[in-house]
Parts: sequence; structure tokens; C-alpha cells
Amino acid sequence: MAHLNYEAAKRVAYRGFVILGVVTIVEVFIALLGKGYIVDGFHLSRPVMYLSMICLSLYKAYYIIFEFMHMRYELPGLVRSVLFPTILLIWVIIAFFYEGDTWFHWREAAREIPAEMQLGKPSGNSGLVPVHPTDSTESVHGVPADSAKPEGHGGPSHSH
Amino acid sequence: MMTTDQSLQKPVSNWDGGREPFKASYGKLMMWYFLLSDAFTFAGFLISYGALRFSSPTWPVPDFVFSSLPGGIHHKPLIFVTFMTFVLIVSSVTMVRAVQEGHRYNKKGVALWMMLTIVGGLIFLACQAWEWSTLMGKEHMTIHVNPFGTHIESGTYLDGDGHDVQKGDQFVAGKSYLIHKHGDEWAPLRYQTESGEVKQQQFGPKAFGALFYFITGFHGFHVFSGVVFLSIILVNVLSGIYANRKNHYEMVEKIGLYWHFVDLVWVFVFLVFYLL
Amino acid sequence: MSVVQQKNMETDPLIRDLGHDDHFHAHHHGDKYQTNFLTTYIFSQDHKMIARQYLITGVVWAIVGALMSLVFRIQLAYPDADVSWLRPFLGKWITLGDGGVGRLDPEFYYALVTMHGTILVFFVLTAGLSGTFSNLLIPMQIGARDMASPFLNMLSYWFFFLSSLVMMYSLFVSTGPFSGGWTAYPPLSALPQASSGSGAGLTLWLVSLVLFVVSILLGGLNYITTVLNLRTKGMTMWRLPLTVWAFLVTAIIALLSFPVLASGFFLLIFDRSLGTSFYLSDIFINGQALDRIGGSPILFQHLFWFLGHPEVYIIILPAMGIVSEVMAVHARKPIFGYRAMVYSMLSIGFLSFIVWAHHMFMSGVNPFLSNFFVIFTLIIAVPSAVKVFNWLTTLYGGNLRLNTQMLFCIGFVSMFISGGLTGIFLGNSTIDIQQHDTYFVVAHFHVVMGVAAFFGMFAGVYNWFPKLFGRFMNDTLGKIHFWLTIIGAYAVFGPMHYIGLGGVPRRYYRFDNFDAFRDFDDLNQFITIAAIVTFFAQLLFVVNFFWSIWKGRKLTEKNPYGSNSLEWTTPVNTIHGNWPDKLPVVQRWAYDYGKDGKDFIPQHKPMEEGEEDSSH
Repeated sequence: MAHLNYEAAKRVAYRGFVILGVVTIVEVFIALLGKGYIVDGFHLSRPVMYLSMICLSLYKAYYIIFEFMHMRYELPGLVRSVLFPTILLIWVIIAFFYEGDTWFHWREAAREIPAEMQLGKPSGNSGLVPVHPTDSTESVHGVPADSAKPEGHGGPSHSH
Repeated sequence: MMTTDQSLQKPVSNWDGGREPFKASYGKLMMWYFLLSDAFTFAGFLISYGALRFSSPTWPVPDFVFSSLPGGIHHKPLIFVTFMTFVLIVSSVTMVRAVQEGHRYNKKGVALWMMLTIVGGLIFLACQAWEWSTLMGKEHMTIHVNPFGTHIESGTYLDGDGHDVQKGDQFVAGKSYLIHKHGDEWAPLRYQTESGEVKQQQFGPKAFGALFYFITGFHGFHVFSGVVFLSIILVNVLSGIYANRKNHYEMVEKIGLYWHFVDLVWVFVFLVFYLL
Repeated sequence: MSVVQQKNMETDPLIRDLGHDDHFHAHHHGDKYQTNFLTTYIFSQDHKMIARQYLITGVVWAIVGALMSLVFRIQLAYPDADVSWLRPFLGKWITLGDGGVGRLDPEFYYALVTMHGTILVFFVLTAGLSGTFSNLLIPMQIGARDMASPFLNMLSYWFFFLSSLVMMYSLFVSTGPFSGGWTAYPPLSALPQASSGSGAGLTLWLVSLVLFVVSILLGGLNYITTVLNLRTKGMTMWRLPLTVWAFLVTAIIALLSFPVLASGFFLLIFDRSLGTSFYLSDIFINGQALDRIGGSPILFQHLFWFLGHPEVYIIILPAMGIVSEVMAVHARKPIFGYRAMVYSMLSIGFLSFIVWAHHMFMSGVNPFLSNFFVIFTLIIAVPSAVKVFNWLTTLYGGNLRLNTQMLFCIGFVSMFISGGLTGIFLGNSTIDIQQHDTYFVVAHFHVVMGVAAFFGMFAGVYNWFPKLFGRFMNDTLGKIHFWLTIIGAYAVFGPMHYIGLGGVPRRYYRFDNFDAFRDFDDLNQFITIAAIVTFFAQLLFVVNFFWSIWKGRKLTEKNPYGSNSLEWTTPVNTIHGNWPDKLPVVQRWAYDYGKDGKDFIPQHKPMEEGEEDSSH
């Protein structure tokens, strides 16, 4: 594993500290600058801010994997066998986020259904569609869950 | 390409069997692939976080939520967590140094830098404990209730909360707020929207608090188990058993991989919870 | 050492002359890992013993799971029958009505269905199949002394055993085992009060499966690193038998998919025990809104099926590998399209990760997103078809030995084609609108990954039984077992396709109160009778299995099948470390059958002057 001599390796370690530290500070700076904490009234557009922070984080990840974890000095086969599977996550991210967005839009759509079209008041066990738009912002009181204990054995209605 | 005629004297490849194709011992490979699978566990959590965040109409702004410092200092956004990040980075660097000393068979060096790494891990855990107890005890964010909300329309407050908000303060859509507790009662403030409606502050999405505690807790658990493993290996280093082993300080290298992985995960936890 | 033992330990001259000396010293009475009964048979670190442990645990679970299916099949065919005779076994879950007529408790019906799925999918076809044969064959076929880490290998089995114990315990809690389906969808699983099985039953279920994930990860890490690092000299990746390739791909899939299941389970545990709402929103109980909002039950389905779909390949790929190997050996022909087989396995492995939502077309997935999942799903037909055609062309013109294991291989191909074709129907989101949650789905997955995987497992057990226990299983009994099983399986699942197309939904307690489904009563009875017959046919296997362990015909020669792969160069009575002194050095691929007029050429036999290498 001795790919660098001791002094050079030591320098890599301390340079890693500086690089990761600086990148972290830049990230926090962008976050604060973008949201108007540093220059009054100055905001960055969200895509620019988010994109730059994601890129900087990926750079940090790259640096940790390749320098600190010594991936740079491993054979290409090992590098590929560890890194290629993470490509699968790209499709997972797309699919999950797209789904999350869908849930949001469908809840918004459900909220706009006129009252007379909804499946009656949620009485008895048959309430499939909630009458009250129960989005997170609509719940006024964080009542403890035990106020809604089920009575009897009906169980929650489930729609599939 | 894969000629098997031995008489051709073709150069032997790493893949021909009887040798390690990646020039890495099975133990190191196991650690790498374990970390890969652990990365998928964290990916499962963080991607679920993303999906739930996308499904929520509002999401608390991190620089409003994470803005307290020890000693009762408020409104210093992200300073404390930046410090925590630094602690982890430093402990990663000390870990790198421990591995490097291991390559020189310097037992004392390995032990010293590992000890510093353990201290770093403990400081990080202490910071997390403080952060959690502040959020839970002072700001009353739990896994069930999230008092950090975000205004979806502009308006004027009709009440003051005795902390930062005065009656008559104006706010714009997208501004975050914290619902305080008076005694055991929640005290959401009333406000008047620009169209003249009188409304009350709403709780923020529950998923925020639950996911925050869950994911940072899971990461914290990794830090904790890392500290435990580091301590065990430190004892072994001091007892000198690695010095007599054929692969010397490879165990330090393997736990080092794990420790850097914990740092790596924090990069993404930091990104999604504190920056985005 | 007796004379027989002496003969067994005799070294293959090829290994003696050309083998690789790794300074291994055989200890005929065990070595430091096998000093007493406990370390030899119970906490063994020997891969062959661990394989036996996996196999026997799997057989026990298979019997339990199959018995459950009989009980609910009886309920479906004869809902009015008096089943009070089951009271001695099921106790209070058989309720006695007027005149002492016993009825199966509906809650317990669901519990039986759930447990049947869980047990067969995880404990039998994942641990029992891949656990057994990965452990047995990987070290022996790549020419390794043992797994990379025998200790973690042992832990892997004992985590599985612990997980088995917890699951078994959950069958006996007073509120019953979990009853919300093996997929454990919220809200039924997220609210302990949702059904009687959602309480303690599900808690134990989750604990059991988390332990199971640990076992799979420990095993998978071992399989992967063993295949990579411990191949003997000359064993290039392209000379590996297809079994080893299949186990490698399986382990990689498991390593990447099970952790995501674990994340889904952890969030579920939080929802159940700590009152978070990751998976809950808009729940009404008796007209009251539950204050658990902001989550989504579909999130769990995504996390679950991100494992769930790869899981079916974790089940079927080892069976495919076993079939490829056994088929080539007993057709006395090289496997057709070796590299195509490997590439198709790799692409199946890759595709399995991007198709998961095809299990959820009807549960509220965005229809636009479904399109992509349909396309990816249908692409899987390509590598699957490549494999099927390769098997058929391997059989074509072969000098077939129609022994039991070969029959099961052919049966596997038959089942895989039948089940695969219905998969193309179900992979279309539009057709799935009609077919989802009907018996068509049940028939599809039972044929393609249930029965087919079992056939692969049977082929493997019949074929490698001599390596596992030093004796053969009875071939006549095996053939009877095969014919009863394949006829029985088609008799059970063929009609199920039909009633599924008729719209009969799965997971219903009884159908006689629906006019639309009453017409299928006789078919349901036919299915149940066929299932009972098929079950008793499996008892033939169980009897054959345990009888042969002690009384079967003894294995007397090292290589009874004339097989090329390395496991048949080990001593007749296997030893710890597999080879008594040197390790064999591999000179060729594993499928030189019928080459240059020779029936077979073992892998460690050197190439002759001017001989063409047939591995590419």
C-alpha cells in the first residue's frame, strides 16, 4: 500500500483537511448568502444554490472516497465494482422523487373535490376518501395519537 | 484474449485464479462491499426523505431550524452543525494518519492517532446529544410534532410570542416560524393575511422531525459503533497482536474505511438536512 | 485409518503432479475447527456442514409452509366443510359453531396466507436454496479450501437460525402471526391495532426478517469475496461453472437490495412503535381521523419492492445456475452459449433493480412513471429468452441421461417458459388493471419462481446429494416424485390462470357469497385436490431424503456422473479443506463434454498438444 512516501502521504492527509474544510465553509456560505443572511436583500436563485451545493458535496464525497479511503490507489476493477452499483440509485432517485411530487399533486387535487362529490362523511368504516383535507399544514393541533384509537375491530379502511 | 495454451507463456493476469484480482485481501473487499450495501441502506433513508419532502407543500427552512448555539445563543444559522462537520473531518484526518503510521509499523503512532480519532467521535456524539436535547427540550420538536412551520402567504401578526415576534410584525410567504409552548399548551399565533382573513400558525410537516431524528440517529449510531470498534482495535494495537500478524495493521485500515464512510454519509446528511 | 478411508484419501494423479501446493495439511480426525461434536456438527465453520444445515432447515420450513397452503386450500374449496379435525393442530383458530361444526378463523386464514408467502420466499427459496448450494458449491467448484471467512459463514447460518426461531415463535403467540400479506403493506402493518396479527405477530415478523437480512448480508459478502479471491490457479472467471456465476450474481443482487428492505423495515418499526408517520396519512378509524399524517403508504411499497423484485431473481438465479450445470452434465454436451448465459444473468441482475414498481401498477403509482417500468420489465424477456433457448439447444442432440435430476431440469425449463409467458401479460400496466390481485398473478409467480425454483432445488439436491451425504438418493422414487410433482403443479396452477382471468381475486376468505365466482367452485375443488396430491408427492422426497442420508446407496467413486467440475475430484468422504494435500490447478473450462471423441475431460486435465480451447 505504500504508494507515496511517508512525508507525501502526510501532506495529502493535511491537504485533505484543508480542502474539505474550505469546501464545507463555501457550502455554508452559499447557503447563508443565498438566503439573504449575509448581504441584506440579496438572494441566490434556488436552482443555482442547490446545484452548487450538491456539486460541492459530491466533490467532498469524491475526495473522501478517493483520498481518505485510498480508492485512488486501488485497481480499476475494485473502483468500478464499488462505484458502478451506485449508478442504480439514479433511477431510484428519479422514480421516488417523481412519486413524491405525484402524492403532493394528488393531495392538492383531492382538496379541490367539491364537498358534494366526496364519499359522504367519514362515518362508519366505509370512509375511503377523507372529507377534510388533511394535509400537514392543516392540522392545527399536534394532538397525541391516542385520541384516535380505533373502536372495535374495524381496523383502518384501506383502499387497495 | 483468454488463451489457455500454457505453452504460449502469456503473461498471467490477476484474474487467472490463485491470486487476488484486485490485489486486495478478502477482508478489505468485504469491508468495501459491506460499506456499499450500507450506502444503500442510507440511500433508502435519504431518498425516502426526498420523496416525502417532495410530497409536502412546505418544508422547514434548515437555517431557521438549526440556528442555536450552546450558551443560549440563537439566530446563528448553521454555525453549530458546521462545527460538528469539522469535528468529523478532523477525526477522518486523524484516522488517515493512524493508517499511515500503521504502514510504517509505528505502534505508538497508530495508537496516538486512533485515540485522537476516538476523541473526535466522542465530541461529535456529544454535539449531537446537545443538538437533539435543544431541539426536543427547548424547541419541542419531537418525532410526533414539528413546531417549525413555514408561511405560505404574507401577512401581519395579531399576537406576539414573547420571544422574537411582536404584535404587528409583518412577514412574507416562505418565512419560517417556531410555534412556542406556554406551559404545556401550544400557543400558535394568529395573523391576518393580506386579503384580511384571520388565521393561525400551522404545525410543520411531521415527517421533518421524524426523519431528522431517525436519519441523524442512524448516522449517530454508526458513529457510536465506530467508536466502539475503534476502541476495541485500539486495545488490540496496544497489546501488540497486530505487530505479529502477517497482514500487520490491516485491521486499522479496515476500521479506517468504516470511519471514513461515516464521514462520507455525513456529507450527504449535512447536504439534505442542513443545506438544501 | 481404515482401508476404505485410505482409498478415499488417495490423491488424483493429476492433482498430485500438477496441483498447487498451498501447504495445507489434512487432519482426518478434524482440525482445530472441528475438535468436538459441537464444533463439527452444530457451530461448524465448514462450508459443507453449513450447507447441510441450511438444507435441512429449509426442508423443515418447506414442510411447514406447504402444510399451511393445504389448510387454506381446503378452506377455499370447501368453505362449509367441518374442519374440527384440525383443532388438535390449530387449536382456537378453528372456531366451533352450531353442532360442533369447525370453521377456520378468517383472521387465521390471512395469517396462513401471509406466513406461507414469507416462509417460502425467504426461508425456503432464499436461504434454503441459495444458502445451501452457494455454501456447498462455491468453494468446491472454484477449488478453495473453504469460504473466505468461515467464521462469518457460520454466523450467517446462525442468524438465519435465530430468525427462523423468531418466526416460528410468532406462529404461536396468542394474537396469531402476522396476517397482512407477506408484503406487509401499511397501514395494516403500521398500525398495531389494525388486525390481530398486526400486533405482536408483526413485531416478531419484523425482528425475524431484520435478522434474516443480517444473515443474507454476511453470507453474500462471503460468497462474493470467495469467488473473487479464492479461485484456484487457472480458474479464470470464464472457466467458472455457471452455478458459481449464478451464485455470484445472486449474492451481488442480495447485497444491494436487502439493505433497502432493511431501511423500509426500520421506518416501519418506527411507525409502529414510536408513533411516527412515515407511511401513514389520511387514515380514518371508525369515522375518526387519525392524527398521523404526511407520510405515504406507497413509500413503503417502493422500498419493499426495491428488494422485492430483485428477490425473485435471488430465488430463481441459483436455480438457473444449477439447472445449467446439471443439464450439461447429464446431456453430455457443453452448455450452449456459455458466455451468453453469463451475460444474460448479469443483465437480468441489472434489470431487476429498475423494474420494481411493476408490482405496484394498481396501488397509486403515477401512470406516467409506470410506462418506464413497463418498458424495463418487458426488456427482461430478452435475457430470459436467451437462457431458455440456450437450455433447449443444450438438450437438442444431447445424449440425455433421464435420471431424476435431469428430469427436474427439463421440468424447470418447462415451468420457466409457462410462467415467463404470463409474466409478459402482467408486465403491461394496462393488462394489469384487469389482472392485478387475481389468481392469475398467483398462478404466474407460483409457476415461474415457486415451482420452477423448487425444480432447480430438487435437481440440485438429487445431483449433489452424494457430495452432501456420501450416498445417492433413490432414483426410482425420485422419478415418481418428479412425475407426480410436475403433473400436480400444472394441475394446481393451470386452472388458477383460468379462474384468475375470470376475475377471482386473491386473498379472499371464501367466494361462495359472490355470484360471479360461484361458477368456479368445482375448479377450486379440483385445485385443492391436486394440491393435496402434490403435497403427498413431496413426502416421497422427504422420505427419500432422510432415508438416503443413512440408508442410501453408497458413493464409491469420486466422479459418479463423469462430471468435469472440481467438486468431483474431492475425496468420496469429504474432508475439511476439501482436498487432502494439493489444490487442483484448472486447465480448461467446465464444459468439455463429448469433445474430440472423449465423453468428458475434467477441468484439471491439461490441454493436449494442438487442442482447441472450446471456452470461447
